[in-house]
Amino acid sequence: MSAITTIAALPLLIVVLMTTLELGSLRVVAARARSAADLAVLVAVNDQDDGELQRSGTLVPAADAADVARAVFAANLDPIAPLLAAAPAGIAADAAVEVDAKPATVHLRVTVPVRTPLFGALFFHPITDVAVLANGGAR
Amino acid sequence: MITILIPLLFAVIEFGDVFQRWLAQESATVQVARYAAELGGDAPEVRALLDESLRLSGIDPSAASLDITPARVGWREPLTVSVRTNAMVAIPFLFNAAIPLRTTAVVRGELAR
Repeated sequence: MSAITTIAALPLLIVVLMTTLELGSLRVVAARARSAADLAVLVAVNDQDDGELQRSGTLVPAADAADVARAVFAANLDPIAPLLAAAPAGIAADAAVEVDAKPATVHLRVTVPVRTPLFGALFFHPITDVAVLANGGAR
Repeated sequence: MITILIPLLFAVIEFGDVFQRWLAQESATVQVARYAAELGGDAPEVRALLDESLRLSGIDPSAASLDITPARVGWREPLTVSVRTNAMVAIPFLFNAAIPLRTTAVVRGELAR
């Protein structure tokens, strides 16, 4: 009897297992995207305007800080590109990057589309959007 | 029944462990990349930090490989740091396997403007 119950419940068990694995994978990709954004704003905010630093001694992000943040963000998304539903360069280009001079800070806000094929098969949700927000300040 | 339920249970546990390990390695890689950027590339201190970070995360550092490319960088030059390890997965009645985990972080040199 228990064997029959197990076999009957097997499809449900497999669906639960697959959902668990997909959710775990999604959490890992989301964490990777967040650390990519953290690195991007840190690198961008540390890329300061040398001229302003010499002139006034204040830390001001370089003129190309937003481009640097996007480039570093895209470079750090590259290793997980097969798991994403869009190209890293395209995701980075769509990111909203704000650079403030005083205090010297860089903010990055982006939505990263992640492939979730099992969610697609089970819940018609093949792409899951992960919202990422990162802020970096000069030290 | 046992031959079905036990592998399912172990699959959840083992893959959960792999995901946890992946996150820990990822975090260690990012910290090491930041430190390497500040020191201008590969250095014994960078490798020591990786060993310490992995050990604290329960990963054997002697089984990990670290690539820092290029070995030395100047101000604003890109630096790529990659860490590779193998995570062992053992699911009773199904398989034992080593899953390669590779984490990479890209930063820019912050040494000597």
